[in-house]
Amino acid sequence: MARGFRRKGRGRAASYVARLDPLERATVAGLMEQVHDLLEPPPTTTVGPGSEGPVDEFAAIVAGLGMGVTVAAEDQADLVASGAGRDPALDRLLPTANLQDDEAAAEFRRLTETGLRQRKAAGLALAASLLRAEDKVVLDEASARAFLTALTDVRLVLGERMGLRTDEDLEALEAAAGELDPDDPLGYALAVYDFLTWFQETLASAMLTA
Amino acid sequence: MSLAPVTQEVTATGGDLAPDLPWVTIVWNDPVNLMSYVTYVLQSHFGYSRAKAEKLMMDVHTQGRAVVANGTREAMEADTEALQGYGLWATFQKDS
Repeated sequence: MARGFRRKGRGRAASYVARLDPLERATVAGLMEQVHDLLEPPPTTTVGPGSEGPVDEFAAIVAGLGMGVTVAAEDQADLVASGAGRDPALDRLLPTANLQDDEAAAEFRRLTETGLRQRKAAGLALAASLLRAEDKVVLDEASARAFLTALTDVRLVLGERMGLRTDEDLEALEAAAGELDPDDPLGYALAVYDFLTWFQETLASAMLTA
Repeated sequence: MSLAPVTQEVTATGGDLAPDLPWVTIVWNDPVNLMSYVTYVLQSHFGYSRAKAEKLMMDVHTQGRAVVANGTREAMEADTEALQGYGLWATFQKDS
């Protein structure tokens, strides 16, 4: 049973402590690793989380939502270069930065995308490794920041896969959740999404200062 | 995403002669980012007070978008990059 983040201590000495059970840790870490791979695709053509047990099972469900990476790395690089037709989740993580001036948007992407991808991937890898370590999650201010953003990036991708584009989409999905077929992976994805939302809220609230 | 009509105040005068029109950084509403998190990011990145960060966050939430900073193009690009790094839906544009 999960226990959300609480702050211990103050100022620079503050730490943030939560507790997740092994299944919860594996689930969240597995998602972080998938989003990491989405941002930093390896040279091989297909990507799996390469984990065992419940993570594989969950990865299969998420893959059913189209969350698995199936685009060849070189194709993805081409798509990135052209900025068109790429995975919509990447567009959510790295949105078009100027809606009035295509040239300025392309220049921004050219100058910032690699760095943004690397920083996001590094944060996701750090957060996943902290979750893989033990049930008790203890974060200092710097790792808490990385962890908080990693949770955001995972929720952005999961939200995109579930078709959440507006506040109304989420309300409609929550309202329809009770009528979903028990085998519909969307129901499980929504449960995981809600868990992540709760978990992130405890950390964001603990980190907010007056 | 609920988009409010764009209502920008036109402050520039002198038309084409104005050499340094200010640029703005905009944060757009999305269904995923938490209100607490957006407030945290605005405080953390810009050094805004809790009250100012919360007001901007509520503007994003209720109006669909809010201008969170203005300045040179370079500064707005840097802000946009940082905010996208946090996972916010941030853009920059000329404020005119």
